[in-house]
Amino acid sequence: MVSESTQAPALTAGDSALKVRMRRAGELSASLLKNPTTVGGLILIVLMIAMAVFAPLLTEPNTPDPYQMPRDWGAIAEPPGTPGHPLGTTNVGGDVLYGVIWGARTSLRLSVLVVSITVVVGVAVGSLAGFRGGKVDEVLMRIVDVFLSIPELIFALAIAAVLGPSFRNIILALAVVFWVKYARIMRAQVIHVKENEYVDAARVIGDSPWRIYRKDVLPNAITPVVVQATLDMGNIVLVGATLSFIGLSEAGIAEWGVLVSEGQAGISAGRWWASTFPGLMVFLWALAFNLFGDGLRDILDPRTETTR
Amino acid sequence: MTVVEDGGRTQSVAHTPVASVQDLRVHFRAKAGIVHAVDGVSFDIADGETLGLVGETGCGKSVTARSFLRLVPMPPGIAAGGAILFRPHHTCRDCDGAGCARCHHGGRVPQPCRDCDGAGCGRCENTGHDTVDLMTLPEAELRDIRGDRIAMIFQDPGKALNPALSIRDQLSEVFYQHRSRDLMADVGLDEQGGGAFSSMLRRKASLRTRRLEDVLLAMPPMRSRRNELRRAVDGRVADALAETQIPNPLKVMDRYPHELSGGMRQRVMIAQALACDPDLLIADEPTTALDVTVQARILELVRELQQRHRTSVLYISHDLSLVRRVCDRVAVMYAGRIAELATTDEIFANPSHPYTRGLLAAIPAASHERGRLTAISGSVPELVDPPAACRFASRCPHEAPVCRSSLPSMSPIAEDHEVACFIHHAPSGAGERPSYERRVR
Amino acid sequence: MQIRDYVIRRLFVLPLLIVGVSIIVFTLTRVGGSPIGIYLSHEMTQEEVAQVEERFHLNDPLPVQYAYWASGVLTGDLGWSGVAAAPVTDVFLPKLAATMELAISAAIVAVILGIALGTFAGARKNRLPDHVTRVFSISGAAMPLFWFAILLLIVFWVYLGWFPNGRSTPEIYARINHPTNLYTVDSLIAGDFGAFRDAIWHLVLPAVALGYGATAIIARMMRSSLVEEMQEDYVDAARAKGLPERLVLRRHARRNALIPTVTVIGLSFGFLLQGSVVAEIIFQWPGLGRWMADSVLRGDQATIMAYVLFTSVLFLVVNLAVDVIYAYLDRRVALGE
Repeated sequence: MVSESTQAPALTAGDSALKVRMRRAGELSASLLKNPTTVGGLILIVLMIAMAVFAPLLTEPNTPDPYQMPRDWGAIAEPPGTPGHPLGTTNVGGDVLYGVIWGARTSLRLSVLVVSITVVVGVAVGSLAGFRGGKVDEVLMRIVDVFLSIPELIFALAIAAVLGPSFRNIILALAVVFWVKYARIMRAQVIHVKENEYVDAARVIGDSPWRIYRKDVLPNAITPVVVQATLDMGNIVLVGATLSFIGLSEAGIAEWGVLVSEGQAGISAGRWWASTFPGLMVFLWALAFNLFGDGLRDILDPRTETTR
Repeated sequence: MTVVEDGGRTQSVAHTPVASVQDLRVHFRAKAGIVHAVDGVSFDIADGETLGLVGETGCGKSVTARSFLRLVPMPPGIAAGGAILFRPHHTCRDCDGAGCARCHHGGRVPQPCRDCDGAGCGRCENTGHDTVDLMTLPEAELRDIRGDRIAMIFQDPGKALNPALSIRDQLSEVFYQHRSRDLMADVGLDEQGGGAFSSMLRRKASLRTRRLEDVLLAMPPMRSRRNELRRAVDGRVADALAETQIPNPLKVMDRYPHELSGGMRQRVMIAQALACDPDLLIADEPTTALDVTVQARILELVRELQQRHRTSVLYISHDLSLVRRVCDRVAVMYAGRIAELATTDEIFANPSHPYTRGLLAAIPAASHERGRLTAISGSVPELVDPPAACRFASRCPHEAPVCRSSLPSMSPIAEDHEVACFIHHAPSGAGERPSYERRVR
Repeated sequence: MQIRDYVIRRLFVLPLLIVGVSIIVFTLTRVGGSPIGIYLSHEMTQEEVAQVEERFHLNDPLPVQYAYWASGVLTGDLGWSGVAAAPVTDVFLPKLAATMELAISAAIVAVILGIALGTFAGARKNRLPDHVTRVFSISGAAMPLFWFAILLLIVFWVYLGWFPNGRSTPEIYARINHPTNLYTVDSLIAGDFGAFRDAIWHLVLPAVALGYGATAIIARMMRSSLVEEMQEDYVDAARAKGLPERLVLRRHARRNALIPTVTVIGLSFGFLLQGSVVAEIIFQWPGLGRWMADSVLRGDQATIMAYVLFTSVLFLVVNLAVDVIYAYLDRRVALGE
């Protein structure tokens, strides 16, 4: 059912295809909103992004660089509830609340950047492999296989280590590691879609390969990429924060992993707050996108179990 | 109920039916509403007879059949009403199954009612025979009936056999579950006492061991006793397989389902179903998934075993010509209700429901000229919250206004022939009545 | 037959993948700063630096350099670890033992708990236990290990004091010999029950922390494949035989549901390997992961290369093994039915 309706618009031209797509989008969002966990995920996502976007309104930005933690040397390792520091401070005088809020902005920057880079690269490589086939496919897929042989986090860790500790390098390392999944998904999808009759039909009409790809193949193959990208919006923050926690960001930036790491030293002395709150944010962020992505997959994946 | 004295296929019908379905209603909860998959079905299965239940896909015949063993998943299924009365039998003691006056030559006799001990009471509907309602029977009692007194063979033996278990494992389960006493007797195990090892072995004989006990039983002091038990089970499994004419049962036992052909798998299923000599065998399209050449042999086998064991059979099929070959009586189902019920000969000689006529016209026969097959126009109606009207009205060529306003019920038109159609018994004052002369479409 | 062909094909591809990984690893070290940084000091003259460069073949073309490095790896020469102040090969095994002890404990926790939870939920589809398990497993996928581990420490070490931090109590660790470097095994060999208790006590928190993610993955897979199996005809056939629901589940549905779950167990092994880096940092566990983390921060390239290469090979081999086991278990797949 679902796959049929995804493919249907390809045959119609111009604005009627657009209408079909719009209606389909409407149906999709309606069924998405029926699942309470998906809605929960969506609400969390909206809250998180709002926090990231309105960070400068929620707290006074640090000068000159708002992404650096402000240091209040007069309030070191204060517990939550301290005046001016509702979530307490770290043992170097960083305001935990500031870190939590601006950490959302850092995370949004990280995930949007990495997801856009990896999706573009992965979709390009996967499409090329799947659409061309033959030698090109063979070579590209062997490279993908090699990349997939190294466990994600360890690969990213090694790259970031070689490039040197900085937040920019974390973005780069994650981009190098995460594009492969998209390439693989996209290749499989393109090969699958290519088999369809309307692609043959377009070929018979004499459409150029680029036009066939853009008009018929890409729109019908992209759905699983969208699902994966949603899940990765969460995963990338999770892995990125882990790299920061290990120590691959600059010290002192407002990033959740860095803050957890800073707070870790204090836990044996009972100072639980500096690690707990930023870590909770990482969890909620990843949870939000996982819940939403999960719901998206259930609806977009035709193999989803039905009631009977 | 009916004792047919004359010759022919129906001679073994005894006076109490082995099972009676009474106004059975099974519904399903769906997004669009309540689907009335089975909506007021009644019929009897006489002792020793083969009753065919025929209809198109989705007419409710499988749901009816599965209800006998309560295999309809609830939810989404709803037991909306009715009963399936079942009377467990045992082999006649006078003739040991050979057939005598006491058992009406059926070889089996019903058990006395547990409430009145044969005197007749409400429970057994004054038949004096033990009667249970399969729809409301407690789970534990139902389990004792499943696989022992009522067995089932499924449409696709490739799916109904567990791919991860050997044939031996799957068949032996039936004996462990229902014949553990006999197994214990085989290996000389008392039903009580004898210390921890004996009780462990007893549990083994009824599939109640825990994993640790299995390990202990596989080790030296217990090992030989356990193997004895295994040999006893293997013997029974081999006998059951041999009965279905499987060559080399001892070898087949060690195979896995995927290593056997479709026909062999169905033989295994049949062996498994008949292992405990049930009173009623439910065959849910047992040949549909098989090659045509194998179909005939399986059919023959079912027929032969049924006659030897004097088992009653409920034979589900969408294929009228097939039903004609195996069944004593036929019930035609349409859209969750029975349309017509008669002996096989009668229904083929004198089909009296327009739907039955349509079905028969659609069967290619040797006498038919090329290109003259008729199809029934339209398709099965939606069963979501159906109105009180004849379900077939929208497709019926003879339909009249009354068919759209009230629901026809089953009424006899001849001996052993019932039809639910206003052509034969219109309600009084209903205005114009349908008839075969009338053609609407 | 088909299984054998499949295994042979996979075995043939395996060395190619390993060579590919080694090329990536080698390339990485050349992208970053000088690979001989740890051998140099500010007091060295130009000539001395040139000497070192000559010794490590840095003046040769890259493919030749790769050949030197690869032959070194094959002969067990993984270079000098600045962090451990010893050749990588010398310190590798004891650290590997510590990591394995942790990873295997976590795997045991994950497999047992994951399968139990998945079965429990799958058999009660859409009822309360199922929803709880669903929340549990989605949380598992989203849970940052570094945070979960710290929470466990805060609650069970700092506040409750039920479990210790670290790998061992030094005095107890010192009183026995360590032939295998697996603390639990060594304590049993020594017959020292106190040491064994110490080993287990120190294992609990890290194993639970590390195993949580894998538990969630396994539980989820087990749940969904059980739900799928419960709809199969053979389950109804088993019920029709009169088997009680407990046996329908145990002897029939679960057996088949375990087959796809095996593949996820392989996947989650990668999860455990990665996680061990974080878990070892937080629980001060003297294993490969913590060594890797230290090396990353101090630019110890020999260790990083060795670690990436090793974990990848291990990951590949485990996944190969899992696929072979899967092909063997699922007889339906093997015959292409």
